[in-house]
Amino acid sequence: MSRINSNTVNIAITGVGGQGVLSLAEILAKAALESGFNVRVGEIHGMAQRGGHVVCTVRIGENARGPIVDPGSAHLLVGFEPIETLREIQLVKQDGCVLMSSHVQHPVAVSMGKAEYPNHKEIIKNIRNYTDRIIEFDALELAKKAGSSRALNMVMLGAIIGTGLVPVTKETAIDVVRTSFPKRFEQINVAATKFGLEKAQACKK
Amino acid sequence: MAKPKELLEDKPGKEILLLANEAIARGVLEAGVRLVALYPGTPSSEIGNNLTFMAPHIPNFYFEFSTNEKVALEVAGAAAVAGVRSMMVCKGPGLNVAADPFFSLAYVGVRGGMVIVVADDPSMWSSQNENDSRYYALMGNMPMMEPADPIESKSMLLEAYKFSEELELPVLFRTTTRVNHTRAPVKFGEILPRPDKIEFEKEPFRFVPVPAVARTRHPWLLGQIEKARKLSEKSPLNFTEGKGDLGIITSGVSYDYVIEATSSMEIEAEVLKLGITHPVPEKMITDFLSRHKQVLIVEELEPYLETHARRLAHLNKVSVEILGKEQGIFSRTYEYSPRIVMDALKAVTTRNTPINWEEIDKKTKELPELPPRPPLLCAGCPHRATYYAIRAATRGKAIYPSDIGCYTLSIAPPLETADILFDMGSSITTACGLAEVTDQDIVATIGDSTFFASGLPGIANAVYNQHRICVIVLDNRTTAMTGHQPHPGTGVTGMQKHVPPLDIAEVCKGLGIRYVKTVKPFESMAGLVAEVREMVKWTRENHSPSVLVSIEPCALLTAAERQRTGESPPKYYVDSEICNACKRCLNRLSCPAMYMNPETEQAVIDETLCNLCGTCVSVCPQGAIKQEDT
Repeated sequence: MSRINSNTVNIAITGVGGQGVLSLAEILAKAALESGFNVRVGEIHGMAQRGGHVVCTVRIGENARGPIVDPGSAHLLVGFEPIETLREIQLVKQDGCVLMSSHVQHPVAVSMGKAEYPNHKEIIKNIRNYTDRIIEFDALELAKKAGSSRALNMVMLGAIIGTGLVPVTKETAIDVVRTSFPKRFEQINVAATKFGLEKAQACKK
Repeated sequence: MAKPKELLEDKPGKEILLLANEAIARGVLEAGVRLVALYPGTPSSEIGNNLTFMAPHIPNFYFEFSTNEKVALEVAGAAAVAGVRSMMVCKGPGLNVAADPFFSLAYVGVRGGMVIVVADDPSMWSSQNENDSRYYALMGNMPMMEPADPIESKSMLLEAYKFSEELELPVLFRTTTRVNHTRAPVKFGEILPRPDKIEFEKEPFRFVPVPAVARTRHPWLLGQIEKARKLSEKSPLNFTEGKGDLGIITSGVSYDYVIEATSSMEIEAEVLKLGITHPVPEKMITDFLSRHKQVLIVEELEPYLETHARRLAHLNKVSVEILGKEQGIFSRTYEYSPRIVMDALKAVTTRNTPINWEEIDKKTKELPELPPRPPLLCAGCPHRATYYAIRAATRGKAIYPSDIGCYTLSIAPPLETADILFDMGSSITTACGLAEVTDQDIVATIGDSTFFASGLPGIANAVYNQHRICVIVLDNRTTAMTGHQPHPGTGVTGMQKHVPPLDIAEVCKGLGIRYVKTVKPFESMAGLVAEVREMVKWTRENHSPSVLVSIEPCALLTAAERQRTGESPPKYYVDSEICNACKRCLNRLSCPAMYMNPETEQAVIDETLCNLCGTCVSVCPQGAIKQEDT
C-alpha cells in the first residue's frame, strides 16, 4: 500500500462484550507506546458493549491518525470467538493474518433455536476465502490453565506478540501486563500471556 | 485501570496513552477549572468517571454528578457567572435537556471561563438519535470548537477557556464518538491552581434576563460573536495544509480521515482544517474558496460547514464548485471512515482507491448469514427477572413504555417489554398519554438514575392528573449503562462523599402515590409475578398511579464485589437426569450464560458466564436447575 499506511500496523480485535476485548486493545497499545511507537486505539462503549458483538482497533506506527481500520486493511485480525471472527473477516488485508480462539460462545439466538451456529469447517472455509494465514487454538482452555477464564484476553495478547507481526517484545508486553492489573492477578495474567505467546509461535511453525 | 491517579500526576512533559475523555479530564486540571457538573452520557462518560475519583485530591475543586443535564448546566453556569472557570459535560441528547439554560446563558454571558462539552454520536452507537449539536452553537450564538483527536481534546480545551474569558461567553466544545473513544499518546502540561471561595458580585441587570435586560443582551451577544469571528480569522486552530488544485474543508475526526485518504491515494490537495466551527472564519473560507475550482467538504452528519461555504461563495460571488452532501457525494447519516472519504475522492478525481473495496464487498455478501449477537441484558441482570415477571403477570398484553438505560434491551425477544420510548423519563409520561386514549393496562419501567434525572415531573403529573399507570422502578443501585456512576439514590456524591441517599419509595409516597411497594426480584419469582398482578389490578380499580420499586444491585457490581472478596455463592447446574429438554429456560429468559447441548438438546449453564442470580431455577417446570451443595 502507499505512503501513509506503509509503516503502520493495523490490528482489529473482535469478540463478545465482556470477554476483555477493550482491555486487550489498551494494553497492546500501551506496550507499543512503551516500545517507542505512535499508537491509536478505537473503542466503542456503552450500549454496544452489553454482551453483544464488539470490535476494537489498534494502529501502531508513525502515520496512524484516526482510529478506524477499513475493510481490507488489517494486518492482523484477532478473534476471541469463531463467528465473531468471521463477522469481521472483511477487515483483513489480502494475505493478512487471522488469529482466532476456537472456543464457541453460543449466541442467544442459537440457544433459542432461532439461528444455527455454522459448523467449524464452514467457518474456516470462509475465512480462507480471504486469507490462508490462520492461527487457531482454544484460548479459553489456556486461560483456565493459567488460572482463570477471565485471562482469555491476556492469552490473546501473548498470541499477538507470538505472531511476530507487532513491534512489541515479549518482555515489554509482560512488563505492561504486570503494571496494568492488581497485584493478585499478576501471576495468572503473566502465565496467560506466556501460554498465548508459545501457542502462537508453535502454530506458526 | 488506575487512570484517575495517573491523571493527577504533576509531571509536565510526561506522555501517556489517553482516551480523549481522559484527556479532557486532565485538561480540567491543567486549565484550573474550579467546578464541573454533569449527568453521565455515553460517549462522554469517562470524563466524569475520572473526575469523580480525581476530585477529592484536587485543592479547591468541586465535582458533581448532577441529577440531569439541565441542572448540571445551571450549576456550572452559575459558577462561571460568579467568576471561576467551570465545565458542563453531556452527550448530544443531553444538550437537548439543557437547551433552556443554554440559550439564556449566552445572553447573560460569564465572568469566568466556561466550556460546555457535548459528545455527539454519529452512527448512534449508544444514543437514541444522531442529532447534530453544531446547530446549537449557531442558534444560541455560542462559540464552538471541535477537536479531531485526544491530543487536541486537551490542547484545544485550554484555548477554549482563554477564548471564553476574552469573549465573556461559554464555549461549546463538540466531540464525536470517534474522538471521545479514541486513545492516543497525550503529553501532560503544567497544572494551573484554582482560586478558593470568591465573592459573588451582584449585577442583576446583566444576569437576570427579564425582557428589558434581555433586549439589551441580544445585540451585545451578536457583537460578541462578531468579535469572536475576528479571533477565529486569526486563530491557529483554523489552518491550511498541503498544496493542490483540489480544496478540502473539514473539521473534527473527519480531518484525520482526509489526511489518511489523500495520502493513501497520493492526491495533491490543500486542506482547510477548522478547529473553531462557530463563528467560522468567513474571510479565511472565502479566500480558500477563491483559490480553488473545486472544494470538497468533509463533515459527518448535517451539511453544516457546507452550507456556510455555499453561503459565503454566493455572498462574495466566488465561482467555485462546492462538493458535498448536496450532490450526494457524502451521506447525512452515520459516521465516516477513511474509506468513505477515499470513495468520495475517487468520484471527484477519478483516482483509484488503494484497496479494491468492491471486490471485498462482493465477497462479504457471499458469506453465510451468521447468527446475530446484539447487545442484551447481562447474565445475572436483575432486570431480566423483573421483566420476566411483568410479562408473566400481564401475559404480554399490557403496553410497556420503556426508558433510557440498559433495560431498553428488553425490546428483544423473548422479553419484548419495550413498546415506546422518546427520551429520559418518557416511560412515565408516555404512559400518562396512553392511559387516556386506550383501555389497555400500562406498565412503565424506568431505572433508578433515570427516575431522579427526569422521572419526578412525570410522577407528579400522574398523581395530580390521576393517570391509571403502573410504574416499576428498576433500581439496580447505580447508573449502569454509562459505567456505574452514583445518583441521588446511592448515597455517594461526585466528590466521593457518603451522604444520606434519597429513598425512591418514600419520594413516591411524598409525591402522593397511594400504592407504593418494594420487592427484591431474586427472592421469589412467584412472589414477583403476584406483586405485578396485584399492582395492575389495584391501578385499574382505583384509576390512580402505582409504583413498585424492584431493588437489586447491577450484576456487574455484584460480580466485581465477588471478585474483590473472593466469596461466591455455590454454582448452578442443569441436572441432565431431570431436564426433559423442554427449552423453557432458553426460550423465556434468553440468558447469555445458558445454551443448548446440540446432542441432547438439554440446557447447559456456562459457569464462566453465569452470575449466579438463580432466576432460571424458578423458570424450570421440572426443577432440573439446581445449586451445588455448599
